[in-house]
Amino acid sequence: MISLKHIKKSYFIGERELPILKGIDLEIGQGEFVILMGVSGSGKTTLMNIVGLLDKQTEGEYEFMGKSIDGLEDEGLAAFRNMHIGFVFQQFFLLPYLNAIENVLIPIVYSKKQIKHPREKARQLLGKFGLAERTHNKPSQLSGGEQQRVAIARALINDPDLILADEPTGALDSKTGNEIMELFCVLNEEGKTVIVVTHDPKLASFGKRLIRIEDGAISQDITT
Amino acid sequence: MGLSLKILQLREFLEEIFKILYYYRGRVIFSVTGVALGILSICIIITTIDGANKKARDIFEVLGPDSIMVFGGGERQRAARVRTSSLTFRDADSLYRVEGIYDLMKVYQVRNVMMKYKGEKWQTQVVGSTTNYFESFSWGFQSGSVFTGSDYDSAEAVCVIGAKVYDELFHGENALGKAILVGKLPTKVVGVLEEKGGGMGGPNIDDRVIMPLTTVMSRIANEKRYLGMMRLKTNRDIDKTVEDVRTVLRNNHGLRGTAEDDFTIRSSKDIMKFVTVISGQLFLFLGLAAIVALVVSGFVLANLFYLTIQERRKDIGIRRAYGATRRGILLSFLFESIVTTLIGGIAGILLSVMLGGTFEKLFDIPMLFSYKVVVFALLFSFLTGLLSGLKPALRASRIEPIEAIRG
Repeated sequence: MISLKHIKKSYFIGERELPILKGIDLEIGQGEFVILMGVSGSGKTTLMNIVGLLDKQTEGEYEFMGKSIDGLEDEGLAAFRNMHIGFVFQQFFLLPYLNAIENVLIPIVYSKKQIKHPREKARQLLGKFGLAERTHNKPSQLSGGEQQRVAIARALINDPDLILADEPTGALDSKTGNEIMELFCVLNEEGKTVIVVTHDPKLASFGKRLIRIEDGAISQDITT
Repeated sequence: MGLSLKILQLREFLEEIFKILYYYRGRVIFSVTGVALGILSICIIITTIDGANKKARDIFEVLGPDSIMVFGGGERQRAARVRTSSLTFRDADSLYRVEGIYDLMKVYQVRNVMMKYKGEKWQTQVVGSTTNYFESFSWGFQSGSVFTGSDYDSAEAVCVIGAKVYDELFHGENALGKAILVGKLPTKVVGVLEEKGGGMGGPNIDDRVIMPLTTVMSRIANEKRYLGMMRLKTNRDIDKTVEDVRTVLRNNHGLRGTAEDDFTIRSSKDIMKFVTVISGQLFLFLGLAAIVALVVSGFVLANLFYLTIQERRKDIGIRRAYGATRRGILLSFLFESIVTTLIGGIAGILLSVMLGGTFEKLFDIPMLFSYKVVVFALLFSFLTGLLSGLKPALRASRIEPIEAIRG
């Protein structure tokens, strides 16, 4: 599903090149549950941004679902993200002026897919995550765990192939964090490919595959 | 892509904009108020200029395009509101001989004369004139008719009363043949005029009593020599006639060389010019105010928008991550700006409708509302939104999703 070949990424500060990723080769198949672990500054977030089509590599080739995405420009990338990827972030990033169900529906506004009865589907997703009573609450009226579950529902509304979560438990207490990770396990069992990016070693046990990033390169890749 | 999806997306898009505006209402109100004030002044400009033009056309119509008026007293005395009598019957006779003049009406007007009939009292103006007064204004009669030439020659106490005076004194009763007191002079009513209506900002045109010039001068005003004004009609070029009239009057009054005129000539052309100058000044003054208000509110809007975008970087980032293109972000911010100014524009139109009447009374400027006002107001508010929103929206569209999300 995801195929990265010799991916390099550098930032340039004036004339000086600052390498972040130093040649990553990585294959991730359909239905995997990957924990991408590394300390801050290891390059894990940069790698996630490239995998999530939010950033472009300086060198190397990237194929997503058998298609090279290297030549795609803004519109093409946006459409690809919309169709195939659901994002979950540490700070939830719910829009404060929309209620829970409206936040879940955001990807629909940009969707090229024909999702049947999106409102009904959003309600079902929120119900599945125990938020049936919260559909019309604003984010400010929800707890952290509830907000993150709304964010996950939003990631799922458009039927993506891949869930990409960046430190999804970072802003939550450990009990709530574990509940969120359990949720990802359920989604994975239902067939979604899940990648969770984290620095927290306690999350390692939730995945089926652990990839460690150190200093811009993969230092460990174990399937459990 | 299905049509129903498109419609749903459009609806969500528009709904979201209104939710955003509501959420940021504190700052939206500032922008809306600014735009509303600008649009209010634009509405007032357009309506007053239209009103002034209509007034000019009305005056033109009443006077006729071939009219020349001559008043006693020079320009300066008139400006100082000193009425100097200088026109005589001899002047009128000489003017009859000027080439092109085919009609001459002599007028002597007395203001604030008390009328009495039975218990009723009414103060009005008395116009002494010649029998052609009524044809000149193409003024018809409700009842009765014009006084005769012999009434004029022998200064009979007869009068024709305007519709307003008739209502005030007679309340619908028959007035013909009745005697009313004009000042102290018992006068017989021989005619009642049709209602003309339209005060045109000045005194009510139906609020007057018309009597033979001779009667007014000798029996009411006790004036033996001087007329108030004359109205001439010419079938020659109006400017040339004015020149000739001036020469004749200066000759008659013994004015030589650089001596100032002791009379004032106004042609219908002058009146048009006057109205044009007035509406030009209005346009300048109000136009400046409107442009300043709109530019200021445009800047305020642009600045508030920049702030908004800083605050909403995450918003932009998440939308981009979920498939919004740069163009999509640009459009939604631009729409937000335009919707804000359109709300301001509509508020401005409503304000101008509400305040228009007050303004009209306060400054004695007639206003003419039309669809044109609405179109202009909406167009201007649209442009304000577009121009002030463009730069911030472009900037928003250039924000990279990873920058925005990194926080």
